[in-house]
Amino acid sequence: MRNYFVRRLFYSLLTVILIATVTFFMMHSIPGGPFTREKPVPPEIMRVLNEKYKLDQPLYMQYLDYMKGLATFNLGPSFSKIGITVNELIVTGFPATATVGFLASLLIVALGIPFGIISALKQNKPVDYFVMFMATLGVTIPSFVIATMFIYFFSGKLGWVPPFGLSSPVSYIGPVVALAGYSLSFVTRLTRSSMLEVLRQDYVRTARANGLREWSVIGKHAVKNALIPVITYMGPTIAALMTGSFVVEKIFAIPGIGRYFVESVNNRDYTVIMGITVIFAAFYVLMVLLVDMAYALIDPRIRFEKESK
Amino acid sequence: MDSKQFEFVDKSVKEIPEKMRPSLTYWQDAWRRLKNHKLAMIGLAGVTLIVLIAVFGPMFTTLSYSDQNLDYANVPPRMDIYQLDEDLYVFLTTDYKVLQISKDGHILGRLPRTKTDAIKKIYTYEYEGEAVALDFSYNLLKDKQGYPYDFSFTYKGTEYTEPYKKVQNRTYPFGSDILGRDLMVRVIYGARISLTVALVASLVNLFIGVVYGSISGFEGGRTDGIMMRIVDILNSIPLVLYVILIMVLVGNRGLWTMIIALGSVYWVVMARLVRGQVLSLKNQEFVMAARALGVSKGHIIFRHLIPNALGPIIVSMTMMIPSAVFTEAFIGFIGLGVSAPMASWGTLANDALQGLLSYPYQLFYPSMAIALTMLSFNFLGDGLRDALDPRLRKG
Repeated sequence: MRNYFVRRLFYSLLTVILIATVTFFMMHSIPGGPFTREKPVPPEIMRVLNEKYKLDQPLYMQYLDYMKGLATFNLGPSFSKIGITVNELIVTGFPATATVGFLASLLIVALGIPFGIISALKQNKPVDYFVMFMATLGVTIPSFVIATMFIYFFSGKLGWVPPFGLSSPVSYIGPVVALAGYSLSFVTRLTRSSMLEVLRQDYVRTARANGLREWSVIGKHAVKNALIPVITYMGPTIAALMTGSFVVEKIFAIPGIGRYFVESVNNRDYTVIMGITVIFAAFYVLMVLLVDMAYALIDPRIRFEKESK
Repeated sequence: MDSKQFEFVDKSVKEIPEKMRPSLTYWQDAWRRLKNHKLAMIGLAGVTLIVLIAVFGPMFTTLSYSDQNLDYANVPPRMDIYQLDEDLYVFLTTDYKVLQISKDGHILGRLPRTKTDAIKKIYTYEYEGEAVALDFSYNLLKDKQGYPYDFSFTYKGTEYTEPYKKVQNRTYPFGSDILGRDLMVRVIYGARISLTVALVASLVNLFIGVVYGSISGFEGGRTDGIMMRIVDILNSIPLVLYVILIMVLVGNRGLWTMIIALGSVYWVVMARLVRGQVLSLKNQEFVMAARALGVSKGHIIFRHLIPNALGPIIVSMTMMIPSAVFTEAFIGFIGLGVSAPMASWGTLANDALQGLLSYPYQLFYPSMAIALTMLSFNFLGDGLRDALDPRLRKG
């Protein structure tokens, strides 16, 4: 068991380092530097700039430098925002992104799982059809459409919520709904199908035959096992939500990390692109790791499988 | 017991016709199942229709996706027209251009503006030498002050305040965009781009995934271990980020950049699936027989193993296409999609964002196209899974 965790931790670390390396060399293989302008910069200034950002050193030195910085959580200066470091950008952007992401994850768990269970219990009844209809709609409509529709109706037509920013509690509704939409529908569908499968299992029949009350059969025996695939899905999803959807942040003009990422992509601000990619990846890897560990703790079958390998 | 109680039965009764169903191949059987799956057939019809429109649609349009006419910019699909004379119908655009419309909704031309009186808020236009005066002061009044109408046209001394009726725009059935390009044509061309990207990227994924997965599964041992570790690592990377990075890296924002970006990243799922299939198949007798006959590894993989794993591969493929459409739309929406004047559904939606509150229809049609495509492929995929996945077979 402990061996397994240690090995997983090692691989996760390796993954992050690998991601940083690949991203670094990808960034530096692009022709033209961050200071290439339409109007050529005077060579003097170019030299000073290169010196300041250590771009005059050989590539492997820059790489070692960057990795050293990364080890101490120093992601370097932004190229296009003068005097601001990537760390500062992330620190200022993260709270907004994380809050919206957290609320969206909460919404998914609080609505998706119950609706999935209800839908499975009432299979082929009107409730089931309705829930499944909504869920199917949810996976087919892109989040940017949900977001823009939301702004169009609730801000434009009705004027109930401000169209952008996070100034009041109401203004969280739009981004959270748009962000959660797809995953919420997916979790509902996943819970339903997994629940249906579990309900057909012999041990559920046995529990019923033993005269357990229905809610005890469902709540204690069925749901527990039905949630395993949902947990698998939720781990990376929470990571993705917490680190923000670029699209939703762009539409609602939320001052979060996602917006900086899109901005930096457009400005070719390489350190920011890199910093955010590495942070996102690290967070994502961490969540996957946590889910896998949670798994091994929850489900004895999985633990056994992994150990016997 | 008396034998007289018994009698001989007629021979014909004995020959109960044995119930024989014609034996069906795997694919015939799957097709039979699929035909009975209503939603899947709807999905199949939808997919066929969308593909047909994407392939043949542009042949039937007179305009091209890049043809623009600034006079007709931002004309909605449904127009409120005013009748000013027996044969004179006009439509007022949101930027106070007056377009002459035929009674059934064709745009005939733009009336030139001859006088601009910004203080009285009266614009004068000309039609065949006669002046058409537009008083738009009502529209700017606070709380309307009791006026039930927003605009009034005066033509030949008569004032018209009520729109005559709403007509369907026949020139631009989906309306026109900010540069006066036909939105319907752009959505059809967008279908080409979006579907090409999705299909080719999925094929690239399929190819890499199948080769990688089957080699990994067939070789087993240390090769398998290393190859799967790589997949594990790739799997724990947020892939959208990498698609974006590749888009930035390659620089020129053509169709192929997008295909390379999507194709080089999403093969991991397919590789895992194929490996699993190969692992379960490779110890079966027919593979052993092939080996005993001295068939080469490549031949075993591609002639014996892959065909047997084709069912799940096809299912995964149909699920991959809509998610590629989705990802492409997202990237287009962020502003990294194919460059103008080409347009995919995602970039169309992105373009619509600027004028959202005034021209919501510009967002509606491309989003509708995305949603319908997603829906069709999802229905078809679900049906195919039921039809092809042997695990779900009963009896």
